[in-house]
Amino acid sequence: MNTRVFRSEVRDEVLSIVREPTALLFTVLVPVAFFALFATMFGDQGDGFGVEAVATYGAFGVLSAVLINPGIGLADARERGWLRVKRADGTPLGVTLSAKVTAALPYAIITLAGIALVARFTAGPLDLSQVLRVIGVLLLGALPFSLFSLAVGARFSLNAAISVLNGVLIPLVVVSGLWFPLEMLPTWLGEIAVYLPPYHLAQLALAQVDGGPVWGHVAYLVGTTIVGAIAAALAYRSAEV
Amino acid sequence: MEHVLEVRGLVHKYGDHTALAGVDLTVGAGECVALLGPNGAGKTTLVRNVIGLIDGDAELIEVAGGNPRRAETRRRLGVVQQAVGFPRSLTVGEIVGGAAVRRGCPPEAASRAIAEMGLTGLEKRRANKLSGGQQQRLQLAMGLVADPVLLVLDEPTEGLDVKARGRFWETIRRRLDDGAGVLITTHLVDEAAAVADRVVVVDRGRVVAEGTPDELRRTLPDRRIEVNTKVPVSVIRALDSVHSVELQHGRTVIAATDSELVIRALLDLDPEASDLTVATASLTEVLVAMTNDEEVAA
Repeated sequence: MNTRVFRSEVRDEVLSIVREPTALLFTVLVPVAFFALFATMFGDQGDGFGVEAVATYGAFGVLSAVLINPGIGLADARERGWLRVKRADGTPLGVTLSAKVTAALPYAIITLAGIALVARFTAGPLDLSQVLRVIGVLLLGALPFSLFSLAVGARFSLNAAISVLNGVLIPLVVVSGLWFPLEMLPTWLGEIAVYLPPYHLAQLALAQVDGGPVWGHVAYLVGTTIVGAIAAALAYRSAEV
Repeated sequence: MEHVLEVRGLVHKYGDHTALAGVDLTVGAGECVALLGPNGAGKTTLVRNVIGLIDGDAELIEVAGGNPRRAETRRRLGVVQQAVGFPRSLTVGEIVGGAAVRRGCPPEAASRAIAEMGLTGLEKRRANKLSGGQQQRLQLAMGLVADPVLLVLDEPTEGLDVKARGRFWETIRRRLDDGAGVLITTHLVDEAAAVADRVVVVDRGRVVAEGTPDELRRTLPDRRIEVNTKVPVSVIRALDSVHSVELQHGRTVIAATDSELVIRALLDLDPEASDLTVATASLTEVLVAMTNDEEVAA
């Protein structure tokens, strides 16, 4: 029963995305366009914009999908009273929320594919298995961010949720070193970065390429997931539906 | 009569504010109960407890044989809520189809509900392109999809034109004949009273009157007496059967349950009282007077 409901919920969410493509264009185009811009500007420096860059810019792409969409979707459904309808219908809360997160993943996959494609043209042939591992890690590592997104969507009005989530995304991305390598940023920013979950997501993805340490980043992301889940649960409990 | 809804001693507080102060309510199978009262009386809070959206303290709250906090219980209800906006991008067919899936019904159930609410031919239209009345019918179609044992309808005729309202009441009567219970809040008091088996009046979180529409008309102050008299308001107010008295443009306006009794007493006090008229108030006017509010609404 719940599987059927989940499929129906995801279908509705995906239809909403496909039929309102403006948001899709922004979510996908901005990270891919940024990547193309930076690859063109700095592609001839260092190791170029290969799989390593797919890991860091891909983390930005994934974040822009999973940190923004589930929360805005939830705030919109709350504000419309649609969430009340779902609850009165007996739809399990977990099904409604996980459908919103799942529906954000196609955005993330298209973004990652776009970034990988640009990397292929700017840096030459890529190691496909590395690319797939990077994409897999980034998609799995998206969970804690989607939980924070849901927490914001459960707590704030639609307009406030849009502002909060977009207001958090860009500083988080810059300070975590996803746009520019931390070495290019002031030292104090680098010191902050190690406390930020996106940094650990990007490092975990990079580890699939350079064989760097993994478990410290995994532990950090698992901890963030637990905190995100608690935040989402508390926010939802106190939410007005 | 078998109860499809039974609420006993329901108390619901928002912080220091008591929205419901010990409400009892039952709805039987095949019975239509109209829930009336002024804005802020607690009707929507009561409805939200009944459909399991919020959780007050109650000695007993049993809906369709189960606890409304349980999802499987809620799937046996048909609900129309106030102020619902449908997703912009979904069509009528997808929305009712989704409701059928959530309630474990086959797709044919969605088609039947769409036809019952007169939305056939609009299946592929996006919900946000429907008129207000069509959207209200869409919500009712969602509520009817699983042949509910209890329909809980919060202002269901809001936005419907006369023809659509007639069709709506026909649907309700058909469902009542099939044995479903109906709990309805509406500001169209007299229209609801024409269909309701019982009327429950809520004010300030309490049930202040209850009975069949005829019983309420007999016991409530539905006689409106207007007269030119020198008898002070305070004296008239103390007379038997008088519910309220006020001065309007120099005339004394009295709401009472027994106009004959009041007129005799008034003429004893003031034989020169003149220009006397008596009218029977509508149920709406009676309830407005009773709850001392400007409107009786959900």
